[in-house]
Parts: sequence; C-alpha cells; structure tokens
Amino acid sequence: MPAQQNANVIALQLEKVRDKVPLLYERDDILLTMIQQRGDVEKISSRNLRLPLQVNPGGKAGSYNADGGDLGRGSGTQYDVAQVSPIFFRFAIEITKLVEYATTGRERAIENAAKREVANGMKQFRAFLDKLIQTAGNGVLGTISAVSGTTFTMTVPCGAALVYPGQTIQIYDTTLTTNRNIAASVTTNVVTADPITTQQISVDNVPTGTVATDVIVHDGLSGAQPVSLYGIKYHQNNSTTGTWLNLNRATYPVQLQTPRVNAGNAALTPANVRLAINKVRKALGINHLSKLIAYMAVEQEHAWENLGITVSSIIKEGGGGNGNDLDLLFTGRKTMSGIPIKSSVNADQTRVDFLDLAHWGRAVLKDIDFYEVNGNTVFPIYGASGGLAASYIFYFDTAFQLWSDSPRSGAYIDTLARPSGY
Amino acid sequence: MAEPKGLAAIPRLRPGERRQDSARNDNLQNLVGKIQVVRETHDTPEGVARRLEAAGGRNRFGEPNYRVVWGWNRLAWIGGKFEDRDAHGDLVREVVELRLEPKYPQVNRWHVERWVPPETYGSPREWYANTVETANGASVPALGPYPERGEYEHCFTLQGPKGDFVQLTPTIVEHVARAIEWAKRFPKAKQRGMLYEKESREERNYEEWAYTLMDDAAPALHGQPFVTVK
Repeated sequence: MPAQQNANVIALQLEKVRDKVPLLYERDDILLTMIQQRGDVEKISSRNLRLPLQVNPGGKAGSYNADGGDLGRGSGTQYDVAQVSPIFFRFAIEITKLVEYATTGRERAIENAAKREVANGMKQFRAFLDKLIQTAGNGVLGTISAVSGTTFTMTVPCGAALVYPGQTIQIYDTTLTTNRNIAASVTTNVVTADPITTQQISVDNVPTGTVATDVIVHDGLSGAQPVSLYGIKYHQNNSTTGTWLNLNRATYPVQLQTPRVNAGNAALTPANVRLAINKVRKALGINHLSKLIAYMAVEQEHAWENLGITVSSIIKEGGGGNGNDLDLLFTGRKTMSGIPIKSSVNADQTRVDFLDLAHWGRAVLKDIDFYEVNGNTVFPIYGASGGLAASYIFYFDTAFQLWSDSPRSGAYIDTLARPSGY
Repeated sequence: MAEPKGLAAIPRLRPGERRQDSARNDNLQNLVGKIQVVRETHDTPEGVARRLEAAGGRNRFGEPNYRVVWGWNRLAWIGGKFEDRDAHGDLVREVVELRLEPKYPQVNRWHVERWVPPETYGSPREWYANTVETANGASVPALGPYPERGEYEHCFTLQGPKGDFVQLTPTIVEHVARAIEWAKRFPKAKQRGMLYEKESREERNYEEWAYTLMDDAAPALHGQPFVTVK
C-alpha cells in the first residue's frame, strides 16, 4: 500500500475520534483540568487577557466633630489590571510504517493503532502540562546538582519528577540566559528518569559547558528568561519583587503575596498546617475555607499519614479487608485538618499548597484539537535525502495560560522535609 | 435534624383557622421568624465517648486518645492580624489580637480527633519561634500558647462522600479509631507503597477510560449491525 494512502487511512481514523479529544483532555483528575475554563474569559484573542483587580478598598473612615467640624474628603476603590497572554503547546505523535506491517496493514488494525496513539498521546500530553503547572512560569523542570557523563543528579525539590523518558529538553545556565543546546547545536533527550529513589536522569547528549546548577527547561523555549505556563509557584508566591501578570509585585507587596509558612526543613506537623490555613482565614474571613484544597506530593501525603492522625490509605484502599459497610465512609476524600487532599506524583515533594480553585482560571486562545493545515491532520515525514520517511506525524495543540485573581486566597508550606525512605 | 421541641409543642392549625390568642401568637411567630441560628452547639454523648476510650485507650495524662467533637464546639486559638470583612467581602477593620474561633471549616459536622503529644510540636521555644507573628508593632502567638498537655488534632469528619451530614453513632467513631490504630501497625514502606499504588491505579483508570472512549467513537465493525448466524 502506498504511504500516502496509509496516511489517509490514519487521517480518517483520527477524524472519527476527533470529537473525543476534548473529553480525553478535560477529564478533571489532574490539577490542570480541575482549574476551570472560566466563562468570563473562556476565549481570548491574541491580545492579552485583562483581569481587573480591586487592589485597595475605597472610603475614609474616622470620627468627626459634630460641632461644626470638617468631615473631610472620601476616596474610591483602587483598581489595577493584571494581564495574561496565552502560550502555545503542542504534542507530536509519529506512527511508523512498522505499525502497518505489524498490524498486517488492514484498515481495522490501523484504526486500533491510531486510537491507541491518540489515547496514549493525550495521556502523555496531560502529564506534561501537569508537570508544567508545578513550575514557576519559566519552564524550568529541574536543577542539576551533579553531572557525571550523561547522567544528571537533580536537586530536590522537583528532582527528576518533571521529566519523562523520551522527552526533548534544553539546558540553560542558572540565570536562564544561555541556552546551552542552541549554543552547542545539540538536541538532548531524556533516556531514563528516577523520580523516587536516586533523582537521576540520563540523557543521550550533553551539550558542551553543562555544569551543576544548570537548569532543565522543556522543548520549544528560546531566548533569555523564557516564559512558559504560569504554575503554582508563580501564583502562590510571597515575593515582593519581580512581576506578577504584568503587575509590579513591589507596588502591591501585600495584595499579591500568598501567605507562606516556612517549615525550615523539618517534617510536616499539624501546627504547620494550622498556621497556613489560619493565615487564609485571617486574610479572607474565618469561615472562608469551603473551597480550599490541600495540594501536595505523594511524599507529603505520606508524611501526613505518618503523624497517625488520619485514616491511612491502607484502610482507604481496601487493605483492611473487612468489607464493612462503614468503609463507605472512607470513600470520600482524605483531608488535612478538614481540607480535602489532592495529591500528585508531579507536585513539589517539599511543599503543601492550599489552593482556592474558585480564584483560578484558564484563559484559552485555542481549544485542544489536532493541528490542522488545509484540512489535513496527518503529515508525512521526509528523510534526510528529501524522500519520504517511513512514518507519519500528527499533533495535538492548544494555547492557554493560567491565572489567579487573588493570590492571597491561598497559602503554602514550603521547605518541608521528605519522610525518610525516599 | 429533628424539629425543635418548642415549636413541635404548638398544635397545628387547619388552613384559615385562627387561634384566639392570635395577637400573642403573631408576635411569637414574628419572633421565631426572625431568629437565625448562627451557632449550634452539641455535647458529645457519654456513650460515644466511652466507646472511643475503649477503642483508643488513654494518654499519659489519663485522657482519652480519641474524642469526637461538634464543629461549633471545637474552638482553637488564632492570633495575628485579622482583616474583618462585611457580607460583600469589603474590608471593615484590621485588628491584631488572639481569638478563639472554630478550628475546622465544617462547623456543622462531627469530627473525630486524636490526641497528639506535646513533643510533636517541638519545644516551647521552637513553638513560639515558629508561630509568633508580628503586626502593627504587636507580637501574637498565631496558634496561642504552647500545648503543654498536647493537643487534639483532626482525624476524620463524619460526612458522606458528597459532604452530606452523617449522624454520630458509637459504631462509626469506634470504627474510625480502630482503623487508624490498626493502620499504625503497618511498616511505613507499605503505607508509602499504597499511596504510589493509588496514583498508579488512577493512571490505569484514565487509560482504560480513554480506550473505552475511543472504542465508542469508532465502534467494532464500524457500527454495522450484527447479524445472527444460526
């Protein structure tokens, strides 16, 4: 069967499942998709999305002399405008000619292969975006603490958690100024990653000049100080310098600061948790916790279990073996001092974030879909000679950015120790 | 919740019927209509406390390791700068002080708590070093004084999977206490393994769901009706 005909078959199969792609993407089991596309900003143009923020209340309160005294002037609410611009993300999937041979080339078999690739690809794409949401908005997926041949030992937090085998990465110097891959004209791919024990990754090519303290960013970024998805560490930040959604943090040092509890490299304690939650309550009102979630890595969920004050996963996951009707009670979410826990293998292992997702949103320029050119969604690959290569390619793409309209509505505990045994 | 006794004792009237002492009743009804219960408190039934004590034992101070409290009854110290806001969320005042406030956000639910020894919170010096907040020139311990006799911490909120109210019974809370104590006997490595297994299972669930979704999009035999062959 000629290659172009086979590509057409795959295109036909992709078209059959096209309307399922948004469903695959939007399933709300990861933090990214738990953050809703907010109706008021669902679609934006290529111009920046503008978020009006009430930064200071208006009005002048005080006593006055009723015996002819001056009541004074008033003031109005002070507003400023935060701005969000979308980032384009893509995920490329190739199907090789081998699929055709391995599946005897029948249409039904190719259909299965195409469906499998769409499902697998979307799973990986969501995982990639979920990893990005853990970052500080600059695309940094990890920091190298030691280089040994083609093996990097990565600094905790993050460690090797935010990369996956086969991923193309780029290496920048610690100031995010020099892109070592571009300087050395080398492409670097992750070969293996161990995010649990050794925190090491191995790569196929190490660009010249790579040293400890260098950082790893995702593919597609270029130039100094790259901008990527504004993740948790961008919005949940107590810094008073730099910018936040185009606003100068120094101008609103209180309003843009997320309450922080510094654990000082000690283990998680109930006191840390109460301190963080209380900071939100003091800022927003004592009973203003209904929409918070406690977002953390599996390691910190384990640390919380180690305190022996919560119903362990051993019970919740059925290890009790009693089959008691009361176990139904445990099917609800596990909580941290009454706040529902959402854990992730991608989250920072030394941090617990209390997020009020009602204040978070996704500004979407382009919905998730296959990348399309003149009605085509599958494209042939060309070999080095200029002839056809024995594979076809298709892409998912989307353009969006994350925003929060109230950084003070959350809190976080950082510099937590990881429980022993990791 | 059951109807309050005071109201239940008033005989019901048929439509159009008017009681002779209607003026007094109108006043009563107006009054009842205006009463808004803002804080409902309940004491823990003795039977429940006894069952919990039997299940979880006592601590070094002779107090039960487990207890159950009603949300509105459970107050804790919160210190620092409070920003009091009105119903619209607008700032009314800022004040630096120590307040006793409900400890848990679910104030209308029963909560099971477990006693945590004081050493969990570090030394008094560490406690104050970590919790004192300074605002407007005043220093306040954000969690109140050091818990010298330990503290009861949140284990479990009695509510359904969707947050619906679950009535307190001795059996439920005893089960919670025994489950927590039972799980403590397992090595930490096994507990950790279960957490990772949970994450892996969620990933597998997604995969299975995704493949099913794909199959629905392109059904077997391209959606052609099956023909029964005899």
